[in-house]
Amino acid sequence: MSKKPRKRSIFDIMGEYTEDSDAFADELVESAFPEGPSWNTETCCLQALSNVSVTSREVIVTADLPNIEPETVKVETADETLIEITAKMKKKVQFADLGIYHRKGEFSSLRCQDRVHVAFDAEKMKISFKGGILEVRFPRKRG
Amino acid sequence: MLSEAVKIVEKKTIPSEATMLIGLPDVGLVGLIATSYLISELDMEEVAYMDSDLLPPVVVLHKGLPHTPLRFYGNQNLIAVISELAVPAPSIYTVMQEIVDWAQAKKVKRIVSMGGIPAENRQSIKEPQVFGAASNQELLDMLTKSGLNIMNEGYMVGPQALSMRYSINKNIPAIAILAQSFYNYPDPQAAAIALKELQKISDFKVDVSKLLEKGEEIRLKARDIMKRTQEEMARMKKAQEYDLPLYV
Repeated sequence: MSKKPRKRSIFDIMGEYTEDSDAFADELVESAFPEGPSWNTETCCLQALSNVSVTSREVIVTADLPNIEPETVKVETADETLIEITAKMKKKVQFADLGIYHRKGEFSSLRCQDRVHVAFDAEKMKISFKGGILEVRFPRKRG
Repeated sequence: MLSEAVKIVEKKTIPSEATMLIGLPDVGLVGLIATSYLISELDMEEVAYMDSDLLPPVVVLHKGLPHTPLRFYGNQNLIAVISELAVPAPSIYTVMQEIVDWAQAKKVKRIVSMGGIPAENRQSIKEPQVFGAASNQELLDMLTKSGLNIMNEGYMVGPQALSMRYSINKNIPAIAILAQSFYNYPDPQAAAIALKELQKISDFKVDVSKLLEKGEEIRLKARDIMKRTQEEMARMKKAQEYDLPLYV
């Protein structure tokens, strides 16, 4: 004898919908903030905090670059969508300087990479560095 | 049910009639940086901690010993609350409710919440401004008399908002001290200025020059907690603090 499937109430459906939306929101947040250490002992880099905002005319990337030599800042666009910022630090930093004694490693630069999903003109970027924050502005490509 | 999900474990005698200062991770980590610096400068000792399954399964080691990330420090007149991890957005209601309930049980005379107001042009601001908000008109007048700017209109989102909301429910005088700051970059300068302004309404005195000197070091050390705090701020829709309220 086959069992009659239980009729789902509107509350069950709403509950499932909410769970699905929460899971989707979590996925989005996780893809925006991938897990992993904020340092790389092989490349001697600390990961810099950065942020990308896109307006109708520009792509604006900012990065928090404490303890760096401003003249060593490099902004590179590896491909059409990837922006990489690196800068050498004034003074090398070891884990011990950050209060960590169970790891070994020395860091000499800060680095961040940001992917941008709109076309921009890398040739016309404008860079400013104020109060330890780097700001790079790229005009968006039309059409 | 609430007390089963989250509890505050006391390690030392808690002074009554103290001011409670809350500095949880938030915009620019202003409250956390300011409160941690104050704890260190006033040599306050750990008096209690929060134990909860609503917080991630984390202990933080200091000098080889484990500590719960959300802790309470105290002296005769002050109880300071900090968290070394970003409080998960879904837990923030319960966590804040428990902190305010506990404050009431300990006969706290006032709750002061420290934090940042995101300023989109922060790079161009040499000296961030500090604004105050209060749970009643009398306190607001006191802030004005003490020379603080008042945040007349606007939204508060997250720990400060809930500390204010629950304090009002419990009739505990509450103040928020908010400094203009970077949204998602640690801002020790904003923290130092918030602390300076806080002293206008407090009995303690601390020199913030060491905090300013250590600014770059703090910004390097705070990258990870800032990143995780940013995730939780996104979940809390913290960007609503940029919105303009409508009250006709």
